Amino acid sequence: MAGPGDDDEHDPILDDSIEAEAKTQTCVGGGSGERDMAPSAPGPSIHRSGSRPQLDLSKAEIQGNFEERDPTILLPNQSDDISHLALDIGGSLIKLLYFSRHEEDYSNDDDKRKRTIKERLGITNGNLRSYPVLGGRLHFVKFETHKINECLDFIHSKQLHRRDPYPWSSKTLPLGTGVIKVTGGGAYKFADLFKERLGVSIEKEDEMHCLVSGANFLLKAIRHEAFTHMEAEKEFVQIDPNDLYPYLLVNVGSGVSIIKVDGEGKFERVSGTNVGGGTYWGLGKLLTKCKSFDELLELSQKGDNSTIDMLVGDIYGGMDYSKIGLSASTIASSFGKAISENKELEDYRPEDISLSLLRMISYNIGQISYLNALRFGLKRIFFGGFFIRGHAYTMDTISFAVHFWSKGEMQAMFLRHEGFLGALGAFMSYEKHGLDDLMSHQLVERFPMGAPYTGGNIHGPPLGDLNEKISWMEKFVRRGTEITAPVPMTPSKTTGLGGFDVPSSRGSPLRSDASALNIGVLHFVPTLEVFPLLADPKTYEPNTIDLSDQGEREYWLKVLSEHLPDLVDTAVASEGGTEDAKRRGDAFARAFSAHLARLMEEPAAYGKLGLANLLELREECLREFQFVDAYRSIKQRENEASLAVLPDLLEELDSMNEEARLLTLIEGVLAANIFDWGSRACVDLYRKGTIIEIYRMSRNKMQRPWRVDDFDAFKERMLGTGGKQPHRHKRALLFVDNSGADVILGMLPLAREFLRRGTEVVLVANSLPALNDVTAMELPDIVAGAAKHCDILRRAAEMGGLLVDAMVNPGDGSKKDSTSAPLMVVENGCGSPCIDLRQVSSELAAAAKDADLVILEGMGRALHTNFNAQFKCESLKLAMVKNQRLADKLIKGNIYDCVCRYEPPSVSQM
Amino acid sequence: MDPKNSRFSTQISHLALDIGGTLIKLVYFSPNGDNCEGGSIVVGNGCSVVQGRLCFAKFETRKIDDCLDFIRFNILQHSGVQHTNGTARDKLSVKATGGGAFKFADLFKEKLGIVFDKEDEMHSLVCGVNFLLKTVPREAFTYLDGQKEFVQIDHNDLYPYLLVNIGSGVSMIKVDGDGKYERISGTSLGGGTFLGLGKLLTNCKSFDELLELSHQGNNRVIDMLVGDIYGGTDYSKIGLSSTAIASSFGKAISDGKELEDYQPEDVARSLLRMISNNIGQIAYLNALRFGLKRIFFGGFFIRGLEYTMDTISVAVHFWSRGEAKAMFLRHEGFLGALGAFTSYKDQSHSTELKPHHHTVERAVLKCSDDDSFRHTPVTANVNDGEAIECSINLV
Repeated sequence: MAGPGDDDEHDPILDDSIEAEAKTQTCVGGGSGERDMAPSAPGPSIHRSGSRPQLDLSKAEIQGNFEERDPTILLPNQSDDISHLALDIGGSLIKLLYFSRHEEDYSNDDDKRKRTIKERLGITNGNLRSYPVLGGRLHFVKFETHKINECLDFIHSKQLHRRDPYPWSSKTLPLGTGVIKVTGGGAYKFADLFKERLGVSIEKEDEMHCLVSGANFLLKAIRHEAFTHMEAEKEFVQIDPNDLYPYLLVNVGSGVSIIKVDGEGKFERVSGTNVGGGTYWGLGKLLTKCKSFDELLELSQKGDNSTIDMLVGDIYGGMDYSKIGLSASTIASSFGKAISENKELEDYRPEDISLSLLRMISYNIGQISYLNALRFGLKRIFFGGFFIRGHAYTMDTISFAVHFWSKGEMQAMFLRHEGFLGALGAFMSYEKHGLDDLMSHQLVERFPMGAPYTGGNIHGPPLGDLNEKISWMEKFVRRGTEITAPVPMTPSKTTGLGGFDVPSSRGSPLRSDASALNIGVLHFVPTLEVFPLLADPKTYEPNTIDLSDQGEREYWLKVLSEHLPDLVDTAVASEGGTEDAKRRGDAFARAFSAHLARLMEEPAAYGKLGLANLLELREECLREFQFVDAYRSIKQRENEASLAVLPDLLEELDSMNEEARLLTLIEGVLAANIFDWGSRACVDLYRKGTIIEIYRMSRNKMQRPWRVDDFDAFKERMLGTGGKQPHRHKRALLFVDNSGADVILGMLPLAREFLRRGTEVVLVANSLPALNDVTAMELPDIVAGAAKHCDILRRAAEMGGLLVDAMVNPGDGSKKDSTSAPLMVVENGCGSPCIDLRQVSSELAAAAKDADLVILEGMGRALHTNFNAQFKCESLKLAMVKNQRLADKLIKGNIYDCVCRYEPPSVSQM
Repeated sequence: MDPKNSRFSTQISHLALDIGGTLIKLVYFSPNGDNCEGGSIVVGNGCSVVQGRLCFAKFETRKIDDCLDFIRFNILQHSGVQHTNGTARDKLSVKATGGGAFKFADLFKEKLGIVFDKEDEMHSLVCGVNFLLKTVPREAFTYLDGQKEFVQIDHNDLYPYLLVNIGSGVSMIKVDGDGKYERISGTSLGGGTFLGLGKLLTNCKSFDELLELSHQGNNRVIDMLVGDIYGGTDYSKIGLSSTAIASSFGKAISDGKELEDYQPEDVARSLLRMISNNIGQIAYLNALRFGLKRIFFGGFFIRGLEYTMDTISVAVHFWSRGEAKAMFLRHEGFLGALGAFTSYKDQSHSTELKPHHHTVERAVLKCSDDDSFRHTPVTANVNDGEAIECSINLV
C-alpha cells in the first residue's frame, strides 16, 4: 500500500541517509515566494523553494542493521508526482481538485519478506496490476474567484497544467497542448485567461452532470460522507452504495436546482426555485449593507427574527393555533411585522433582518424539496451548494423544514465535500479517471496541518513544505485566531482540560466557522481490502467506545492531551534531540493540540469520530512533522532485552505438560501485554523496574478467573476433552501489538505452540510505526533473533521466507516434514495502534483466506477496536486493560484486569 | 334562551364580520329597498320571504371607528334593532372571524353592545368558498395573459379542491366537502412578506402603492435570469428559457449597487414575482400530491389584481407544464365573512330561529350586460317543506 502518512512535501531531514533512488520532486507548493515568478517563463526547471526537496517517506525502510548509527532509509514510493486537475469556477469561489499519484514500482520490489509472502499467498504482481485504480491522493483546494490569479499561480507552481489529464499517463505535455476540465459559469469567462497564463485550453463540462456524478462518487466511495444536522447536532449516516438510488439532490446556489438522481449519469432536473442563495445574499445586501455573504451569515447568528416576522402568536394573541398544528413561534408571515409598524429600514437591526431572510429562504427550500421528494417517493434528500457551506444554522433550518413538513418521515442530509461536487464531477469527466470502481475501503482521508486551502476556509498562505508548516504553527500560536486554518480555534492557552482549550463557544453552538467541516486529502489506496473474515462487514463498527458521547469524548481527548508531553520528548529524542527535532516537536505538539481543540469544539469536524481515528490522527500528525518512528530506540532496546531472556522462557515452557503449557502461554501473552507505551499507567511502571522483573511479576499475578475468561473453552478446542483429539487449526492469524516483551515473550511463544501443532501462523503487524507497536518490517529481524534459540521457530521462519539471510537453502525440500508449518509475517495496512478491519492490506486479505483462527492481542486491536467484532472463523481476543475507565466501561472491572475472549465462528445472520 | 333575547340575536344575525390584520370585511343582509354599499347578493328571508340582498363592505382595520359607525347607523338601525344604551347591549351576538375577533372583542362590546360569536377562521373561509362555488355561477375564473375566463363548475363535481388563501401568510387547504377540510400546507412567504419587504425596500406606505409601483417595474434589473448565467442562451437541456428567473434578487450580489441605486418599481416587481411564483409553485406541488384538479386562490394579496393573478397563473402553468390552472374567485375578499355569515344556519335546530334563517340554496344567473350580473329570484326548499325563498342579486 501507499503509505498513508506522507504528504506531498517532505523535508529531507534524513538527507545523508537517503538512497539515490529517492528522487526529488521538481516543483513545490505555491509558496508566496513564487508569486513573482514570470508566468511567461515556466519550463521544466521551475525553481525550488529553498533547498528542500520533497520525499515520499511512505514505507520508508531502514536498510541494514539497527545498530548502525545512521542507518540507510529506503523510500520505495518516492518518484515523480503525477498530477491531474479539474476546476469548478463559480461566481464567488473556485474549487480546484487535483490528483497526485506516487507511482509504485513493483519491479523494484526488493523487500524479500514481501516477495516471499506474495509467492506464498499467491499474490502476484499481475494481480496487483489488475486493480482498476492506482494509488494516489485527491486534494481539495478553494480560491476566491476574484483572486483568480492566486489560483493560476497555484496551478503553475504545482505544474498541474502540464500533466497529461489522464491519470494513468505520466507524460508531461508540451506547452499549449493541455486541456483542463472545468465546470461552472466561469468556465467560459476565464477561458482566455487560462490560455494566456498557463497555455491550456478549457474543456467546459455540463454543470448539472458534474454535480450529479460528483455526488454519486462521494456517496458511494466515502463511508461517512452524508450527515444529518438537527438542532446543531451532526450525525453521520452510512449509506449502502447498493441502495443509493433514487435520491433527490438539491443544489442551492444562486438559485436552486432540484434533481432526481436515478443512477450513474441518469438524472433529471425535476424542479427548482428562484428563491435561493442569490436571493438571500442579494436581498441581504440591499437591506443590511453587508459586504460579503459570510458577513451576512455571521450577522444572522446574533439575530432575532421575531422582531420582523409575524409569528402565529402575534396573530392569535400569543396563543398557538393548535387546531392546525401551528405553534405560537411558527412564522406566519416572513417580514409580516414590517407591514404594520411605522418603522423604516434603519429602525431594524441588520442581524434580525439577516436571520429573518435566512429562515424564510431555508424553510422555503426545505419545503419545496420535501414536496418534490414526496412526489417521486424518494427517501433521501441531499442538500448542497454554496448557500449551505457547512453553515450550521442554514442546515438546521432546512432540516427543520423537511422534518416539519414530512412529520419526521424524511431527513435532510448534507455532504461533507458538498462544495466540491462540481469539481469532482469535472474530474470524473476525464475519459478514464480510474475512479469509477473505487470502493470506500480503498479510501483513507488524512487531515494534514497547514493546508488552509484544503479546508473550509480560504485564507492564509498555502503551506507546502515542512518548514512552512512549522513556521506557520509558530506564527499561529502567536497570533491566535487571526490565521484561519483547517483547525480554526481560539488562541492556545492551557486550561484545566490538559493542554487544549475548553471551547468558550459552548453557549453558542452555531458559530459559523466552528461548524465548518474540514475536508482532508483523500488517499486512494487500491490495495486496501475489507478483511474477508468479518462476519458482516455492513454492520461492523471498529470502535468499541462511542465518542459521540460527550463524557467519553472529553475523557479520551484529555488522555491524549496529557500524554502529549511524553510523546514529544520521546519523538524528539528519537531524532537525536537536535535543534531541528525540537522545533519539529514543538510544531507537532501545537498541531496536534490544535486538532484536539478542534475536535473538542466540533467532534464531527473530520467526519465520524472514533478512538481509532483519533489515535491514527496522532500518528499521522507525527509523521507529518517527520517523526518517522518516535519509539525506534525504545523498541530496539526492549527487543534486545526480551530476546535475551527468551531461551529461558522457552525452556521453562518445554518442561511443562501440554495443559499447563497452554495456560502459561496465554498467561504470558496477557502478562507481556503490560508493556505498552500507549498507556500512561504502564509508562510509569517502566520507570520502576526491568522488563523481566515486570514481566515475571505480572505473570505471577495472573490469577484466574480473569475478568473475561473463556480459557476453558479455548483449551477444550485446542486439546479436546475425553481423549478426543480435536482437529488442528489450519492457519492462525496473530495480530500482534507492542514490540519487546509483548511480542517476544508473549505472542512468539504462542505462535511457536501453534507451529508445533502443525498450524500455519501468520503474524499480522502494522505497516507503519505507531507508538511502540511492532511493525511488519521489524518482525523478520525479531523472528530471526528468536530463531537462533529455537529449532521450531527457525524451521517455520525458513519456510515462511523470513530468514532470507540464513544459510539454509529455502529450496531444500528435505528439511520439510509433513507436520511442519510455515511462520509468515504480513502487514495489516495500518499505521495506528487500532485496526479498522474494513481497510486492511491485500496481503492480509490474502492470508486470511485459509485462516480458521484469528487472535487479536492488545488494547488497541482487541478492546478499543474489535472487542465486539464477529468473525466467520474462531477468534480469540487477548488483552490486559491498562486504563481504569475502559475497564469500568467495558468489563466492569479494574485496571490490569485481563480479557480472554474466545468465540466460535459467528453464524451469519444473512 | 329567552325569546326576547333570541329575537335580538336573530335580528343581528344578518351581519357577519371578518376582522383581519389589515382589513375588516363585512357581510350583511339588507332587505329590499335599502341602500347597500358595495356589491350585494339579494336574499329571500324565511317563510315570510323577505327579499333582500347580501351586501359587502370593507374598512381598513386601523380605521375601525368608521366601521363601528357604519354598523351602528346602517345595519343595527335598519335591521330594526332597538339599540338604546344599557338595554340589550350584552345580548347582541354577531358572528365574527379573523384574528381581530379576539383583539377587538371588547371594543365592539363597549361601543355597540355586540358580543362576538367567534368562528374559526379556516372554517369560515372554506364555508365561504363552498357557498360561492355552489350558489353563484360565474364565480370562478382563470386569468392568463390578460384574459379572464369564467369557469362553470359542476356542483356535483366540486370536491376535492385546493384552496390557497393568501393573507399575510399563506394557508393551503384541501377541501373535501362541506365542513370537511384540512390545512395541508402553507408558506410564510405571503402578502405580509410582499408588503413588509416592499416597505423596507421602497418606502412605500401602502399595499396599493407598492402594487402600483410593481406594474411599472422591470424585474430583469435585479433578478438573475437563466440567460445571465448562460451568456444569454437558454439552458435548454433542462428546459429553462433564458428569461426564466434563476435567482430572485440575484443580480444585486454582483452589481456593486446600493439599494438607492435601484428603481423602487423594479424592486417591487421582483418582489411580486418572487412571492407569486413561490406561492404558485408550492400550491401546484400540493395539488399534485393529493391529485387535486382545481386550485382556487384567494385572500387579500390577490384582491382581483390582474398582475398578481397573472404571475400566480404563470407559475402554476409553468410548474404543471400547462396541466393545472390557477382559479380565482370574484368575491375572494369576503370568503371569511361570508363563511361566518353562513354559519348562522348551523344553529337552526333551535325552532324559534328557523323562520328567520336565510339560506341560499341555489341561484340562477341571468346576464344583463357586460360586467354586471343580475340574478333572477329563485325559490328553494330547505328543512322539510319549510320553504325559504331567496334571490340573489349581484349589482
